[in-house]
Amino acid sequence: MQSTGSMIVPKKLKSRRFIRRLKREKTLWLISGVALAWLFIFAYVPMLGIVTAFFNYIPGRSFADLDFVGLRYFREFFSLPDFMQILRNTLVISGLNLSVGFAAPIIFALLLNEIVIRPFKRVVQTVSYLPYFVSWVVVASIMFTLLSANGTINEVLISLGLIDSVIPFLNRPSMFWGIMIIANIWKNVGWTAIIYLSAIAGVDQELYQAGAVDGLGRLGRVWHITLPGIRPTIILLFILGIGNLLNTGFEYQLLVGTPMTRDVYEVVDTYVFRYGIGLGRYSFAVAVGLLKSVIGFSLVIGTNYISKKLSDISII
Amino acid sequence: MKAKHGVAPYMRNGTGGKIFNVFLYVFMAAFMFVMIYPFWNQLIISLNEGTDTMMGGLYFWPRKWTLQNYEYMFTRGNLARGVVNTFLRVGVGTATCVFCSGLLAYVTTVRGFSGRRLIRVLFIATMYFSGGMIPYYLLIVNLGLTNTFTVYWLPNLVDAFYMLLIASYIYGLPESLTESARIDGAGDFRIYFRIILPLCKPVIAAVCIMVAVKHWNSWFDVIIYNPRGNWDTLQVILRRILLEREAASRLANDQQIMEAMRRLTTNSIRAATTMIVTIPIICVYPFFQKYFISGITIGAVKE
Repeated sequence: MQSTGSMIVPKKLKSRRFIRRLKREKTLWLISGVALAWLFIFAYVPMLGIVTAFFNYIPGRSFADLDFVGLRYFREFFSLPDFMQILRNTLVISGLNLSVGFAAPIIFALLLNEIVIRPFKRVVQTVSYLPYFVSWVVVASIMFTLLSANGTINEVLISLGLIDSVIPFLNRPSMFWGIMIIANIWKNVGWTAIIYLSAIAGVDQELYQAGAVDGLGRLGRVWHITLPGIRPTIILLFILGIGNLLNTGFEYQLLVGTPMTRDVYEVVDTYVFRYGIGLGRYSFAVAVGLLKSVIGFSLVIGTNYISKKLSDISII
Repeated sequence: MKAKHGVAPYMRNGTGGKIFNVFLYVFMAAFMFVMIYPFWNQLIISLNEGTDTMMGGLYFWPRKWTLQNYEYMFTRGNLARGVVNTFLRVGVGTATCVFCSGLLAYVTTVRGFSGRRLIRVLFIATMYFSGGMIPYYLLIVNLGLTNTFTVYWLPNLVDAFYMLLIASYIYGLPESLTESARIDGAGDFRIYFRIILPLCKPVIAAVCIMVAVKHWNSWFDVIIYNPRGNWDTLQVILRRILLEREAASRLANDQQIMEAMRRLTTNSIRAATTMIVTIPIICVYPFFQKYFISGITIGAVKE
């Protein structure tokens, strides 16, 4: 519509109209201009900073003086033994998050839905969010108290006679992943369940009555009515989970991890943090981070494409 | 037909169901215990004499009541400074972020504004793409924002997600309100502050709370951008104690001076600090949870 209009309007009038429009939108463009300047500096400059990965960045030196190194840092990363270790840790942690960690809030939501005493249900739900609102620092502090050598859990286990000597839970590499997934579930289960609960609330109540008429038991109703009813939500969150496969989080690792458990906790983000900010190897760290972003983004696009094909659910 | 009170007819069940019910309520009670007890454990340790706690057997109630752990943190530790810094950060950070995100949300909803699509697209893109940790870190360093208070609020001025949240609320308001004001010659600032903002109270409240909790809980940016420690927040002070080094050495020095503080341990001090960081959240979260929930639901619709 606009293009046909501009064909008739003479050029002079058109530009005058443009200026009049700018005048009218003066305030709006003023706000937008400031916002876009801010956005450029704090969001798009860092994106441009990705090129650091292909240069030998030295702080304080201008970009013109930097040596172009191509893919050197990427090749270096692939050749290091750290690469396989990080890949393994990421896949294990993500695998646990996408299986046990994924099922927990669904099961919790289904169980919560079976409670018929409303006030009790509300109390349980409110309590279940509590850990979500505190920081990982607080969670780590609590874990140190409960799981340390003279902590409450060791004390209870010993007094019950289940173990003979204290278990250094947080320093034992073999226990790191297990404890991490439990902590993750503890912190997030109530919160993630909200989404499933709202999906369950949307399931047609008449289906349950029809199911009861057909002789479905309580378990049968959950299996044949509730679960199929919230299937789209489950698929959607699973896609989001796969898209976030490489985002295993790093707060837990940085707070609870010890030098003794580094071999099992190191993931891309902690590695980038250690090499980039800790050791000052900026270009190398940017290269590793970039690799993660590229793979992560293709995962989002890929899973989105597949889910669109399979179930018409899209996140982008 | 919908059952008004209690159990819907089709939910009634036989013996199996009753056994399941017993299991269900026992399970939920255990679940609540697991969620609450870790906090309770910290609370009683923080209120008990540190040396007494070390003897063990402290499960549900303090044995030797004391406020020494808190007293120590407020007098000897740098906690008072941390409290001030944290409240400053939460206050300034929340006010600026909500102000700017709200104003920009309004701008993107003005009908007929030629730049509105551009702004939306450029901001939404930042929800999916970012430069990553190191380019961002280098930017902050090169801007000279390290070891300043500015680094807490300026980089977080606008959040695309909150902008969308507020914008979707403004979309729901009747258009006629702003139209008539515009005909009367009101400018955009006037329309936003006098008409839109008062109507947006629920969503503004929700966003305020979300931003405030985020600022209250963040610690990683404090560590990397304020390494010198003059802007330490409570979370970081707690994290320093987690690393134990500082607390332990400080304690050793202090103990030579203050005989009265003999009964402190790193553990008890840590518990007290944990409670100081957690209690404000515990006190307010039952009231603001509904805002958070409406936040996710709107967010889900929007995405």
